[in-house]
Amino acid sequence: MIDDPLADTGRPRGYDLQIRHLKERAAHMGEWALGMVHDGWRAYAARDLAMAQSVLDRNTELDRLDEDMEHATVAFLVLRQPAAVDLRTAAALLKTTTHMDRIGRLGFDMARLTNLQAEAESGDLKTLLQTMDDTVESMVRQALNALLNDGVDLARQLFLRDDTVDRMHRQANQMIVAELSKKGTSAARLAGDLLVARHFERIADNACKIGEKTIYALTGQRRSEFLPRHPIRPYSLEGPPGP
Amino acid sequence: MAGAVKMRVDRLTASYDGRPAISDITLGFPEHAVTAIIGPSGCGKSTFIRCLNRLHETTPRTTVEGHVHLDGEDIYELDPVRVRRRIGMVFQKPNPFVTMTIYGNVSAALRFNGRHSRSETDWAVVRSLQQAALWDEVKDRIDAPAISLSGGQQQRLCIARALAAQPEVLLMDEPCSALDPIATSKVEELITRLKSDYTVIIVTHNMQQAARVSDYTAFLYLGKLIEFGPTEELFERPREHLTEAYITGRFG
Repeated sequence: MIDDPLADTGRPRGYDLQIRHLKERAAHMGEWALGMVHDGWRAYAARDLAMAQSVLDRNTELDRLDEDMEHATVAFLVLRQPAAVDLRTAAALLKTTTHMDRIGRLGFDMARLTNLQAEAESGDLKTLLQTMDDTVESMVRQALNALLNDGVDLARQLFLRDDTVDRMHRQANQMIVAELSKKGTSAARLAGDLLVARHFERIADNACKIGEKTIYALTGQRRSEFLPRHPIRPYSLEGPPGP
Repeated sequence: MAGAVKMRVDRLTASYDGRPAISDITLGFPEHAVTAIIGPSGCGKSTFIRCLNRLHETTPRTTVEGHVHLDGEDIYELDPVRVRRRIGMVFQKPNPFVTMTIYGNVSAALRFNGRHSRSETDWAVVRSLQQAALWDEVKDRIDAPAISLSGGQQQRLCIARALAAQPEVLLMDEPCSALDPIATSKVEELITRLKSDYTVIIVTHNMQQAARVSDYTAFLYLGKLIEFGPTEELFERPREHLTEAYITGRFG
């Protein structure tokens, strides 16, 4: 029987604090990106140009956070030369911040669509897009929580929620196609809605990527080792929502 | 595991005064690959490597149990001198023969291994110095005293001396621990090159060095083999909790 050397010893506290600090910085960047999504959608839905502009202005800070995060993580790699879980965490942080940057940019893209003359959405489509927003914001928050608090189970649950967002995305596309055939609807608004629905779907994918990297950092498992691949089938834009 | 196994260790236990320094170690060293042995001080790394060419038994009151097979032959059933000819060794500190010249140091290995003509010896000295990446630096002063070389050059001279005997396996016991970073990088580059002709087994305290030069890594702790596998795998996602603790610096 070999004694567990972890029982009464530890490495320098500064090392663990540095990893914690990197994770907190990544989570802060994620929150920043999430704010851009939240306000980007609100600006689009309310045709609020002032709010849209505030989202567009936040992109500079998103870039700065991304660059700082990359610099800090590379410095950690160079100076600490980590291995095992620490190495995987640093590699995962480099990747997750890329996904956070993409999430922020999708919020930015929604804000850029705000300058529409057409009246705002109403009825089922508005409700569906709002539900998509609520779901993907909650997914991003869950992904950040998993990253910050070593939540493997939280990260795994993201993949089930992504299936829900995919279904909503298909449903939104079908509703938009159905509306296009109606007289008096604005093609520009529907094109905007199509893009917004697509952005929500991509945000959910990026939240899953953050979860995927969190699982890799904590367990060493790669996506192909914990997530079975399902066959993907084509769906009809003209038909009723599929399964 | 890719490639054939050159050396196989089977349930090896080595003791000093009846106290085991390594216990029940079983693993295979792949041919034409570099295998690093890592672990904290006192874990039995040096004892282990000294068992691989029967040096351990030269220390009084030591015992060895188990088997070490080289190409299927148990080295503990062979003549130890013949074993050490086939399994060369380079030590922690450069140990050239201080009274000899550069040429003399390398040719000494040949003299101990039978008679050779002058031209055969000359050719072997040049070839060994070239293999040890030292030839270009010493070809104009081959008859200078070995002691006139820098520490890094002396270590490469010792590697050349080991290679002159044309071993099949090269054991290296912390070969860079006494060298500066420039000399270390030259020896590391050399180790990487040597594997095309030899099977290399290196003991190192330096985990980054193990990661840089080796294809496989064995982690020893308190005389036991805790984990053995491809280096990339072991440093990225070790299977064992103890390995993880050691390579992430969580040992006190």
